[in-house]
Amino acid sequence: MTIKYTKDELIVYCASLEIKDGEMVVIGQGIPMAAGVLARKMHAPNSVIITEAGIVGLEPFKVPLHIADMSATHGYTYGCDMMDAFTCIANHGYADVAFLGVGQMDKYGNVNSSYIGDPDHFEIRMMGAGGAPEFAGYSMRTVFTMSGGQFVNKLDYFTSPGYLEGGDSRYKAGMPVGSGPSVVITPDGVFKFDAVTKEIYLSSIHPGVDLENIKTKVPWKLKVSNNLVTTKLPSEEALQIIRNFAPSITMGRKLQIECNVNRIFKMLAKASEQNKNKI
Amino acid sequence: MEKYMNPDKRTSMAEAINQYVNDGESFVYANCLTGMPLALTHELIRSGKKNLTLFHQCGIEEIDLLTEARVINRLVTAYNFRLGGKRTVSPLDRALKEQYLQIEEMSNLTLLSMMKAGAMGYSFMPVLSGIRMTDFVKRNGFLGKQRFGEVIDPFTSQKQLVVKGYNPDFALMHVQRADKAGNGQLWGAMFNSKWAALAAKKIILTCEKIVDEEVIKSSPHLTIAPGYKVCAVIECPWGAHPSELAGHYDNDFPFRALLFASLGSPASIKTWMDEWIYGIKSRDEYIKHYSEKLGSESLNSLRAKSSPSVPADYGNAFSLDWDAKGYNCNLDMNMAQFIKFLDEKGALLEN
Repeated sequence: MTIKYTKDELIVYCASLEIKDGEMVVIGQGIPMAAGVLARKMHAPNSVIITEAGIVGLEPFKVPLHIADMSATHGYTYGCDMMDAFTCIANHGYADVAFLGVGQMDKYGNVNSSYIGDPDHFEIRMMGAGGAPEFAGYSMRTVFTMSGGQFVNKLDYFTSPGYLEGGDSRYKAGMPVGSGPSVVITPDGVFKFDAVTKEIYLSSIHPGVDLENIKTKVPWKLKVSNNLVTTKLPSEEALQIIRNFAPSITMGRKLQIECNVNRIFKMLAKASEQNKNKI
Repeated sequence: MEKYMNPDKRTSMAEAINQYVNDGESFVYANCLTGMPLALTHELIRSGKKNLTLFHQCGIEEIDLLTEARVINRLVTAYNFRLGGKRTVSPLDRALKEQYLQIEEMSNLTLLSMMKAGAMGYSFMPVLSGIRMTDFVKRNGFLGKQRFGEVIDPFTSQKQLVVKGYNPDFALMHVQRADKAGNGQLWGAMFNSKWAALAAKKIILTCEKIVDEEVIKSSPHLTIAPGYKVCAVIECPWGAHPSELAGHYDNDFPFRALLFASLGSPASIKTWMDEWIYGIKSRDEYIKHYSEKLGSESLNSLRAKSSPSVPADYGNAFSLDWDAKGYNCNLDMNMAQFIKFLDEKGALLEN
């Protein structure tokens, strides 16, 4: 049977598989939140979603626009604050997994989410560090979802620590032993990190994606797993959950903008029509 | 730190800003992403105050608006949301390129720790040392070395990264309810609110509703802005629009999209600000304009349906020392017997 899925649905599905039952998961907006909810509905019903706003055990009824909107702040078990999320939770190792986004990433999973170009004369100013540096540094595993980001030899700005210079340099720098980036999910495939050298390698490739094409997007000689597999596709059930919970994620950014523009024009036209009728 | 003991601090937003904000001061938002004091922000822009330094965890639209209006010329922040996409050149981008605004990059924890240290009256506090090699630690902006330091932990002898404590001159804050003395109560995402509010020397507070002191006293655990730190309180329904506030209204995405679509050029953001900030006198007028432009149905669709918290029961036995008949069961005496007893024991002094 053919399964039809969107690019972002596949990323959500791959990300959801990174959550194990009973884990505490730090999640931001968008694709990771959809992944967290999918995991709870499929294979990890006892996992606990946490956001940096200090919301623990949330069960959003639709995909939140940001980490503290009204769908995220109803019906959760523990309302602490941002200070507590980093210190009393992450610093004690309670955060099993954190999901983060990527602007630029180097071969050891260090990340830039601040500036493209020389920061003093930048081409693009991205959103900034937010909570990424400490969650990347102190969660036991970090899962990166990368939709628009790029791999680079040298970051334009070092925002969040991965494995630093590889090997055990991360642990020598004081971050918890055993912690670090575990998976990077892109529209092309799933990447993991070598257990010893900590260098990133391609672990699975999405259906229909060309390996040589992936290599051209990586500016160093990309290592590829000896057991390279094709990424497992989401089941019909998983797709249904994603589409019901997060249609905006299913359709991706471009279609989302198109639909919102249409919605706003309709809204303005309707209000203007009503105003005319009043006169 | 400043202390405000007036039992009635109700005033207008314009008066509060005129009286308590001076050019060149520093301030902090005691909300983050959600429940933002955006009516106060618009009033601050209308007031024409200049050269302020803003400490702000995470911005959505307020950083761009304050920058475009040249209210702030220094910014300490960890994150600025970009709904327009990363290719949009926003007012903040233009200000940094043309150098009429200086920025200091932080992470959420390190910036909030600056506030928490300041709130607790400490000159510094520890943060998570593992991130010391990042560029936001290493590259100094306008605060220079007045951000990070390193000390030796006296108990482990390890190097500990610390941040300096700060006390901004004032905080802007929006909450669900407050009494007229300014005891403000917030619920929902707590984010940075406690530490930002307590770090500031004073708080300018707006709330959806001014309530009786008895309401505040029935749920003291919800009070986040203690009245003694609040210099002014203003009732302002829809004061956080287009951000959301639990129990009141949802995030207004389409409205924000119109704003974000205007960020790209100085001319279009000026048109937006003329329409929604400079051409408007109050939040009431703003809401009226909204209903005309986008329809009252659009506004109504944002209104919260009720989902109250089960009240915390603060009850007790309310056992009185003296009952209605003037009898004290613990002492087994009435008042006359009590006085006689004190006298007999020599406990009553005579002049």
